[in-house]
Amino acid sequence: MSRRLKTLIWSLLGLALVFLTVRAIYVNSQLFMQLLVTGIMLGSIFALVALGWVLIYKCSGVLNLAMGELTLVGGYICLTLYSYLISIFVGAATAQAGQTSIVWAFVLALIGTLIAGLLLGLATERLFLRKMIGEPILAVIMVTVGISFFFKGMVFIIWDTDTQMFLPRVFSIEPIVIWGIAIGQVYLWSFIAALVLMAIFVSFFKYTRWGLSMQACADDEMAALSLGVSAKFVYALAWGIAFMAAGVGGTLLGNINGLNYSVSGLGLIVLPVVVFGGLNSVPGAIVGGITIGILQNMAGGYLDYYFPGGVKQIAPFVFMVIFLLFKPYGLWGWERIERV
Amino acid sequence: MSYLPCGTYFESYKADQQWWRTPFIKSKMILMIIVTVFLFPLLSERYDSQWLSVAYTINYYVLAALGVQLLIGYCGQITLGHAAFVAVGGYCSAMMMLFVPWPQFLLDAGLAYPISIVVSAILAGIWSVLFGLPSARVKGFYLIMTTMAAQWITVPFVITQYVSQIGGRGQSFSLPPGLIKILWWEIDTDIRIYYLSIFLVAICILIMGNLLRSKIGRAWIAIRDNDIAAETMGVNIVGYKLLAFFVAGCFAGVAGSFYISALYAVSPEHYEWFYSLLWVGIILIGGVGSIQGIFFGSAFVVLVFKFLEMGVLFINDQLVEHYPALAYMTTKVIFFREAAFGLAIIFFLMYEPNGLSYRYWQLKNYFNLWPFSYTGKGH
Amino acid sequence: MARRILLLGLTLAIISSWAFAADEIKIGSINDLTGATSDVGKDAALGVRECVDYLNANGGINGKKIKLILNDYGYRVPEAITIYKRMRDRDKVAMLLQWGTGDTEALAAHVNKDKMVTISDSLSAKLCDPKETPYNFIYASDYSTDARAALISWYEGVWKKSDKWKAMRESGKKPKLVCFYQFSAPYSSAPIEAIKDQAKLLDIEVGRDQDVSLVSLDAKSQVLGAKAEDPQVIWHGNTAMSVATAVKDAYALKLGADHITNHWGFDKNFLRMTGAAGEGVIGVAICAFLGMDVPYMDKVVAQTKIGNPNVPFEKRGIRTVQAWLKVTLGANALTKADKEGKLNGPAIKAAMESTKDWTPFNTPNALGSQKLTITPKDHRPSSVVNLYTIKDGKIVLFDTVDVRKKYPDKWDSWLGM
Repeated sequence: MSRRLKTLIWSLLGLALVFLTVRAIYVNSQLFMQLLVTGIMLGSIFALVALGWVLIYKCSGVLNLAMGELTLVGGYICLTLYSYLISIFVGAATAQAGQTSIVWAFVLALIGTLIAGLLLGLATERLFLRKMIGEPILAVIMVTVGISFFFKGMVFIIWDTDTQMFLPRVFSIEPIVIWGIAIGQVYLWSFIAALVLMAIFVSFFKYTRWGLSMQACADDEMAALSLGVSAKFVYALAWGIAFMAAGVGGTLLGNINGLNYSVSGLGLIVLPVVVFGGLNSVPGAIVGGITIGILQNMAGGYLDYYFPGGVKQIAPFVFMVIFLLFKPYGLWGWERIERV
Repeated sequence: MSYLPCGTYFESYKADQQWWRTPFIKSKMILMIIVTVFLFPLLSERYDSQWLSVAYTINYYVLAALGVQLLIGYCGQITLGHAAFVAVGGYCSAMMMLFVPWPQFLLDAGLAYPISIVVSAILAGIWSVLFGLPSARVKGFYLIMTTMAAQWITVPFVITQYVSQIGGRGQSFSLPPGLIKILWWEIDTDIRIYYLSIFLVAICILIMGNLLRSKIGRAWIAIRDNDIAAETMGVNIVGYKLLAFFVAGCFAGVAGSFYISALYAVSPEHYEWFYSLLWVGIILIGGVGSIQGIFFGSAFVVLVFKFLEMGVLFINDQLVEHYPALAYMTTKVIFFREAAFGLAIIFFLMYEPNGLSYRYWQLKNYFNLWPFSYTGKGH
Repeated sequence: MARRILLLGLTLAIISSWAFAADEIKIGSINDLTGATSDVGKDAALGVRECVDYLNANGGINGKKIKLILNDYGYRVPEAITIYKRMRDRDKVAMLLQWGTGDTEALAAHVNKDKMVTISDSLSAKLCDPKETPYNFIYASDYSTDARAALISWYEGVWKKSDKWKAMRESGKKPKLVCFYQFSAPYSSAPIEAIKDQAKLLDIEVGRDQDVSLVSLDAKSQVLGAKAEDPQVIWHGNTAMSVATAVKDAYALKLGADHITNHWGFDKNFLRMTGAAGEGVIGVAICAFLGMDVPYMDKVVAQTKIGNPNVPFEKRGIRTVQAWLKVTLGANALTKADKEGKLNGPAIKAAMESTKDWTPFNTPNALGSQKLTITPKDHRPSSVVNLYTIKDGKIVLFDTVDVRKKYPDKWDSWLGM
């Protein structure tokens, strides 16, 4: 494709997008803003989980298809801890739990989830993936698929298939209304939590010794090894952090309307997100997450009229295929130079 | 297909290129044909016909995994959305049987279903090419993503939301009994379904095997081994990649339209993403780049599932019978199957990364030169 | 010698099991314990087993024991077909109990060919036309009748009376209906045509349908889509957890419309999940809720403790009662057919079709069931529908609607719609 044609297509697409946005705002600005805000807030959770995914890929080159099940496991662990702590704090009368004990129980449960996620991540890496280093990409993908079957089966055995909820509710169901836009409290808090956690993860990479060694390993494994960075340690840490991120993602999603197997759909949404941002780019994951979140909600709000049915679920994938035709390495992915 | 002892003794090119080159292989294959076509089905029908349904399920997986093997094993294009093309085949065939006003003489002659198989194979091939188009530009993980998108766009969206709403609401089409007829045979009993499956597998394997021995097959293998090198040698890689997608889609279409004869119904749940993954798992278990491997992998997967299911049913019955208080556990037993299957895949790939066909090759080598065998390294 | 004794013992065991087998009637049951509708399916499956145990303990079918073969199919049509074939060929069941709409409709052609009477939990109206599906039966008013009744009841009981809509009503504006359901699920989409037809009869406008998945945990964009149309009443066609999600999101986004739901969406679980958001929701119930004061309810409650002591009683609900209704209706037909000594498909079908003003255990109002009448021309068992609502966190009776009485001239033409 010639460069000029490419520029033309891009600018036409951009113009169309601007036109559609302006029109949407003009027709019903409240609906538009509502979709936008919900999209950004959901997108922040996608971004958090995508961060974990990118980390594994960056450090060990594993394409992880088990991310959805990891979010599920994390969410359920948090739910179990939460109900257990609530029952300790207030005894049997769970319905009358006070606000402070709810907050404490939730925060403690979240910390417990992070610890459990770290341990599970380390164990998974050690048991299943350590041996697969250097195997063909497809075999490694299939191992993660096997992991996802295994975790799915275990989740169903332990926690059953029906929807379970955080009861008493951690976040009130009453929405906060800002400029006529109703925002659920749970969304707002999820957004804040996701932002805080992302900030913590990013500063971990930038400023701590372990984070730096992970970066070094991702950049050039041989050089990092010769400088005394332990690759095994880095792989294990990457899996641990991915499990932690997924666990928090699952918890936040579970707080919105409850937990069931459909939460693991998050694991698939993560794929368009990382493709959009570029497989090995941390800022790409964050931008991609929020973009896909907005895109999904906009598609649900506007496109449903023209294509009734599950447009919301597949819009990210369609977008991804089209996007790949134009930018095969995502926004900030590393372009691979191939030689014979 | 075969490994000869040192030295070849053929006198003509034709003899060298034959499918069955030695009398031993010939008699082995004839024995196999006798077993699959006469012995097994007749015995199985006599004693326990559930093994017939196991057998045709294996054949269905072989048909479906054939295309996956072609794409991954011979052309190097990783696909994780093959169930989409099987779905297109299945739906196309079912809808043709249900909604096309066939002329009476075609129905009487029992040609409607065979025609629908051909049409659905072509349609599935075209659909597959559509999603193979990005392969011109992307490869590796990004290609995996587009094939996965094929799955997500085709099955939960196009088929569930639109195609299955044709002719009134409803997700599943149920075919009236007696609709599927080939010539004068109604495909209604297990044994007939089994024979149909054997017939289709034989044809598809023949096509695939011969394609691989031709110019086309060599081009695919060149692309798999190094696509840039192949391009510099003058191979039209985009064309051959798309051809591979087309042929793989055709096999998938045949598989899909075969399986509606087994179930007499078609619904989106036959084509979940799980199956796409399963078929890739089959070729990994069987061995990448080997036609026999597809059989090994399919048989392994179907039999493991069958035994797990028998175990689950047994435990289920025992619980209900002897420990009624634990009967609520029966809802959980089924998930052990899922978890166990996941573990089986993981451990298989960890400890047998070359697949079953490699073991088979080793075994054959061992006996070929027995008692003077040496453990040769494979590929 | 030892071997001979063993052989003798084995032969005896086989003979005795054979002899025992002759005295039992096999019923196959295909249930969803793990799939998209397992939120209501598990309770129902437990109920089926408990009811069979109860019947066996109380004389069985003319003294013969019922042997129940219950399998899970995960709400997947292919699995149901495989299980059906196994039950037909290996277990040779006399009657089939089914669960979902998709699988029941997919198997309808098979059961017709094999002359296998089936009673389904799918109360789809499509299965009620004996011309199309002669061997399919249901055990309560069908989905379409339920949906019509719910809309009639809302129109007459809420729109016409409540203060909430007073201003709008008096300004002469027509109310608007929006349907929330999973388009692609045969179960959810079954009554949509009927409820839209009913809306036309009542002069209610119909807005654009919104697609909410059965396992959905987020219905925000659907609620926003509906909000743009400003509806006054929402029909929910999914099962409890998905309806709860939609109702909660509607509350959180201040949609402001009333909600009506079909009977799979309305139970104790729904009440627990929605909390304050569920207040005022009107739902259909085809039998009494577990623990209500109706004849034979004590037996049901007692059996839950005998049959499944490990399952906490709070987790049980109306689905258990429904399962009893289903099994007792089947057992009634089997008893009749067995008395005549013909335990085959056509005879059981004839017995089913001779059901007239039947209630479980032939006791009026037992389990809160309506009087059921099934004829060879019409398999819709009842036209009377009870509607309940949530008031101050409790489920209370709201209204009873007899659809046939309201539209006597149209009732026959609605068969199979």
